[in-house]
Amino acid sequence: MAEERRFRSASGALIALRRRQHSASCRELAVRGPRLQLRSLSAATSAVWLAAYGLFALSENSMVLSAAIFITLIGLIIYLHFMKIDQESLLVIGSLGIQVTSSYASGKESTTFIEMGQVKDVVINEAIHMQKVIYYLCILLQDPDDPQGVSEVVPLFQSSKPRLDCLIEVYKSCQEILEKRKTAPQSS
Amino acid sequence: NSPAPLPERAIYGFALFLGSWFGFILYLIWAYIPETWLFSLGLTYWPQKYWAVALPVYLLVAVGIGYILLFGINMMSTAPLSSTHTITDNYAKKQQQKKFQEEAIPALRDIPISEVNRMFFLPEK
Repeated sequence: MAEERRFRSASGALIALRRRQHSASCRELAVRGPRLQLRSLSAATSAVWLAAYGLFALSENSMVLSAAIFITLIGLIIYLHFMKIDQESLLVIGSLGIQVTSSYASGKESTTFIEMGQVKDVVINEAIHMQKVIYYLCILLQDPDDPQGVSEVVPLFQSSKPRLDCLIEVYKSCQEILEKRKTAPQSS
Repeated sequence: NSPAPLPERAIYGFALFLGSWFGFILYLIWAYIPETWLFSLGLTYWPQKYWAVALPVYLLVAVGIGYILLFGINMMSTAPLSSTHTITDNYAKKQQQKKFQEEAIPALRDIPISEVNRMFFLPEK
């Protein structure tokens, strides 16, 4: 079953949370941010080209115009491939682990898998980020030496930065699966 | 070490007051009176008058940069989102668990973040 709900990100942009339940102990939560807007693309292109035309008018060098076109094209490709994240998803498989995927606008996907033995908990933490205090979901990794300790914190949904209402939904979904692993029989 | 007024402190304060007035008048004399008049009095070993303007300008620019620098240092020393310092610290790791006593106020302690989350976000059934 799949359901989709709209939320807002920390900066006010519209994001959509899609929840899919693959089985009793497997759930996928995907947060999709807004696509690249035509108006921001046009604004950036016009700004670069107007600046280049101004430089050309000052310096009478026509290479400035071709350079501006190249810069715009290459900049757009780099932005779409390395910086614009369209969708971030979290796949929680109860007995196996957690997989975090980021899909970029150019189609590139980068995934990280954390096995369940290393996962201590998935919590909503609040921290200072760029003159704001934001809530963010993070995976706490178990410290192998200390059962109560946390060795590492893996923040999730870094580029879409959902607000607390969306995070609570994701948190509840994850906790439903994580709770089961404590009551499930240990297999070793 | 109280900040109450003492006779020694009054004397220090007055000496500083006189010293700062003397320094200020000396600075004004150096900056404004033409060199020829000072030479005619026999006082020839002064720094260049350029510094009478340059030093205040340096000071003010340093204060302005200090604002930006402090802002930047603050941003740099904020723990990143992936650091464990946002969750715990040395004092919380080494805290002792006091025994629970009936009808007594529980001892103050740092509650682990998993427990806090469950309290806030999972509805009590």
